[in-house]
Amino acid sequence: MSLKPGVLNPSKNDKHDMFVGWDKVPVVDRRFLFGALPLALLGTSGASYAIAKNVSDPGAGARLTTAPHSVTGVLVHAPYPMIRVADAASVYGLRSMLIIAQGKCNTGYDFSETQGHAVKADGVIVQRKNRQLLEVPPFVGDWISDSQDLPADQISTLSSPTEESLGRAQLAGTIMDTKCFFGVMRPGRGKTHKACASLCIRGGIPPSFWARTKDGRETVLLMTDAEGGPVPLDILPLVADPVTAEGEIIRVGDLLQFRADVNAYRRI
Amino acid sequence: MGHQYQAVQWNKNKVVYDLYMIISLVVFIGLFMVIGLKTYPSGHTAEPVGLMIRALGSAAFSMLTIVLMIGPLARLSPRFNPFLYNRRHLGVTTFLVSFLHFVLALMWYHAAGPLNPFVSLFVSNPLYDSIPGFPFEILGLAALIVLFLMAATSHDFWLNNLSAPVWKALHMLIYPAYAILILHITLGALYTEKSIVYAVLTLGAFGLVAMLHLTAGFREWRTDSGLRHLKKKGWVEIGSPLDIPEKRAVIAPLPGGERVAVFRYDGKIAAITNVCRHQNGPLGEGRVIDSCIVCPWHGWQYSPEDGISPPPFTEKVATYNVRIENGVILIDPKANKPGARVEPAIIDPVSIDEELAS
Repeated sequence: MSLKPGVLNPSKNDKHDMFVGWDKVPVVDRRFLFGALPLALLGTSGASYAIAKNVSDPGAGARLTTAPHSVTGVLVHAPYPMIRVADAASVYGLRSMLIIAQGKCNTGYDFSETQGHAVKADGVIVQRKNRQLLEVPPFVGDWISDSQDLPADQISTLSSPTEESLGRAQLAGTIMDTKCFFGVMRPGRGKTHKACASLCIRGGIPPSFWARTKDGRETVLLMTDAEGGPVPLDILPLVADPVTAEGEIIRVGDLLQFRADVNAYRRI
Repeated sequence: MGHQYQAVQWNKNKVVYDLYMIISLVVFIGLFMVIGLKTYPSGHTAEPVGLMIRALGSAAFSMLTIVLMIGPLARLSPRFNPFLYNRRHLGVTTFLVSFLHFVLALMWYHAAGPLNPFVSLFVSNPLYDSIPGFPFEILGLAALIVLFLMAATSHDFWLNNLSAPVWKALHMLIYPAYAILILHITLGALYTEKSIVYAVLTLGAFGLVAMLHLTAGFREWRTDSGLRHLKKKGWVEIGSPLDIPEKRAVIAPLPGGERVAVFRYDGKIAAITNVCRHQNGPLGEGRVIDSCIVCPWHGWQYSPEDGISPPPFTEKVATYNVRIENGVILIDPKANKPGARVEPAIIDPVSIDEELAS
């Protein structure tokens, strides 16, 4: 008689020697592994290649750490600390460089008392296309000193650049922290960067509005509140999400500002 | 097997297994970094730390997918048993890679700011009431905690001290952890990246794991359906002892839902539970080697007559009373206590001679 129905006979499916971990590997398993292991390696390598190859372009940002940078210009306090330097290559004759500190905070130094002073500052330049930031230590130190190198008329020009309203507009885009987006994180955008961007803005890094024009060009505007002051922290939940807002676009020297009330921003 | 606890009881196969695993991991991460740093136009460079975070996360997810595929693959073919043998090292390494991913992400995205990094992790994205906006980092942390619990209790010391059912229940948490990890990826990387490749790979991995489990589960269910052919009371008929190959077993479902492994060896028939004391491996798919039943999963051994592991080991499994009447094996469905000695049934020598002659 044969086995009763329902009785399982494993030997029907496997007549070979059994693999035992502490013993010699049977020939049948050895042959299988010679084929399977390279295939598995090929599969995981293929997955690695496909994932890495399709990470979205981080953009043209960079943190220029190869050499120390020293800039001489006029210190500006509001809406965010910056240095304006003369730049003959710019159609505006100047370049505004936001001052940001190392890490996710801005420097604790109160620039209001030195507003309009000519200074020399040393730091690391963070650059995205024609925009630059100056990254400095998070404390007051010898990275900044008064400068006698600038003539009085240049100090005057850099202290009071042309301010021009370009009108009101409804913009759609994303709120970024200027530092990461300009070149520290690469990529410094998207949901995977939301917490970092929110933390940076909480720490005093100026927020920027990243939008694209109708013809697809990338535009970055420095965000302020409706009166031109720093954006309040109520903006934090909207950071890195697609949003829209109506506000006024102002050109101050070479910098575009987007002045809008924090309540004007809506998540798309 | 556990007569004394060592961190790892190394042997040649474990060394080869771990070497292959480490080489694969280095190739995965190395390739990811090289491609990730070279794939963009001139002047566009990804930040290496951010890229490494992605490489480690992708590697950890791939490894966990493989860990979850090994179980059902081994149920479908014994050729995959070598992958199962040292799976715990793959599991622990998966945790270590995940932990590195977590530490780098915590330092990179949450440290050096105005908040404690751990506070930042919970509050920097406050959209807990939104499905697409939900802070995916918290989901990753939840999965990491489960992986930690499993890695920390992966040693046989914990299996013995927590008891097999508690240990098994704890390690079944890997399935909710995998589901949470899929959400972590979906609400994080998939939400951020535009390429369809990510969705295809993530869904493909999930689909593969699900399909293998369903296929293996269906096969088990079909085996269990054999129950309806068995008598509900009294001794269970198995069939002729000559239908069991020497040193092998057949597996029969019992009325109580248990499975018994009925072994033939040296002209005798003995029956023990089909469930290995170690990790519930299918003893009936094992062999009798050097007078001991050997589990096909991790090589644990038991004497066929009393279900006790050979000295110095002390593990015990349940035995079953067995007899042969009119050339038919009969099993008492009531299990004996683990380690209880049972006299094996003797196969009629004449029938063995006839078998050999034929």
